[in-house]
Amino acid sequence: MVELRDVHMQFEEKKVLDGFSLKVEPQERLVIMGQSGSGKSTILRLILGTLRPNSGSIFFKQFEITRLRRRKLQQVRRHMGMVYQYSALLSSRNVRDNVALPLEELTVKSRSEIDKIVDEKLDLVGMKDTKELLPEELSGGMKKRIALARALVLNPELLLLDEPSAGLDPVIASVIDELIISLSEKSKVTSITATHEMDSAFRIGTRMAMLYQGKVIEEAEPEKFKQSKNPVVAQFLSGSTKGPILEGSQDAITKK
Amino acid sequence: MANAHPPVVVAQEIGQVARNFLREVGSVFWFIAHTFEETLERIQHGRVPFRAASFFRHTERAGVDSVPLVGLVSFFLGLTMALLTGYQLQRFGTERLIPGLVAIAFTRELGPLITGIMLAARIGAAFTAELGTMQVSEEVEAIEAMGIGPLRFLVAPRLLALFLLMPCLSTVSNISAIFASSLISKAYFSIAFPYFLDLVKDSLLIRDIITGVLKSFLFGLLIGAIACYRGLTVKGGAAGVGTSTTSSVVTAITAVIGFDTLYNIVYTVFFPT
Repeated sequence: MVELRDVHMQFEEKKVLDGFSLKVEPQERLVIMGQSGSGKSTILRLILGTLRPNSGSIFFKQFEITRLRRRKLQQVRRHMGMVYQYSALLSSRNVRDNVALPLEELTVKSRSEIDKIVDEKLDLVGMKDTKELLPEELSGGMKKRIALARALVLNPELLLLDEPSAGLDPVIASVIDELIISLSEKSKVTSITATHEMDSAFRIGTRMAMLYQGKVIEEAEPEKFKQSKNPVVAQFLSGSTKGPILEGSQDAITKK
Repeated sequence: MANAHPPVVVAQEIGQVARNFLREVGSVFWFIAHTFEETLERIQHGRVPFRAASFFRHTERAGVDSVPLVGLVSFFLGLTMALLTGYQLQRFGTERLIPGLVAIAFTRELGPLITGIMLAARIGAAFTAELGTMQVSEEVEAIEAMGIGPLRFLVAPRLLALFLLMPCLSTVSNISAIFASSLISKAYFSIAFPYFLDLVKDSLLIRDIITGVLKSFLFGLLIGAIACYRGLTVKGGAAGVGTSTTSSVVTAITAVIGFDTLYNIVYTVFFPT
């Protein structure tokens, strides 16, 4: 479904991805873990094509994202849904208009058809009663759920989630996570989640990948991942202050 | 480089400024071209490029809401211009030239220029701040991520609104200034209203009106493009929005005055009176 091959990405002096490679199979729920600023969100943006890598290839199905022209890229993006860390709802439009936007702009459906789909998606995320509210009138968790409804409105094959439960209380975070799981099971959606929220990551993921110094240093199913011998992964999972992460050691990479 | 001769350093800095300026000019023109491209692509697919409601919202903000400001400022300028020139012309007994002078000056030059400066400050700043805020809150990227062209969706309705409304607002400016000068002409120089109108009609040529209207269209496009470009290229959070908004207003006003000069030179060379 998605493949990144030897991707290098640098922002001015800062090297973010350094030969990053990853493969995501259909209907998988991959969770990319890593420290803040390690490049997790960058990976999602590269898959979407809103960022271009310095080198390397990115594939979504049969399309090489890095080589697509603007028009084709826009068409390919319609098969993906993205939920941003801060939801990125359009502040001047109410909930209904936010969710309806992709349908209004990219399909030829009538208003009644659009309203029906919007109702269905809002119902799915448990937010049907908020249709007339503006984003500023919603809490963080509500915004996340609306963003999820918007991302799902075109029935995407791939769902990209950037810190879906960051900044939410544990109960709402669990609601969002369960929503993601049920959507992926019911609608057979493949998802890639970037997070450093441990509970959420292990709840959502069917496979975990650890991003460290621009590379994947560990990749496994949740249970195996928890038992990883890699010192970086072990330190990250335990939250210990002692270990290679704070020392900036290269050992972890070579030990893979 | 630290030991470089001062004139060399100055030349290098001038070169750097010139290079940045040319790069910015080029970027704005590419920005306009890409907006057209995205919009036309959409029309070719038999779809409306943007929602009519979005276009009318911008025309209302940029046009209808700007009428009092443009009208009032132009009225005061018309008063002042008629008064100051009138007293000078009176010394030679030629005060009946006031109506023509004000009418030509505003229709051809001051109307579009004053309107352009006011719109750059009022609407250009609003467009930059609005799009800049959307940019830093990832709203623009979210639109792009959905597969919607942000230039067509966000920029095209704003550009079209300013493009079409600038000539209308210039006309409001011209009428206000001419009306104000008619009041001064009557009060201080005893020129009756019907005679004032005859003098305006006699002195104003169609080419003066066409020149002003063409200029207004181009000013509208220029102000809209600079404001939207600055908004969509904001970097650095809230502070970046502030910096870009200031820069947008300064650039748009300078561009309008510079473009006006260029337009006048070209027009005078190719279409001499």
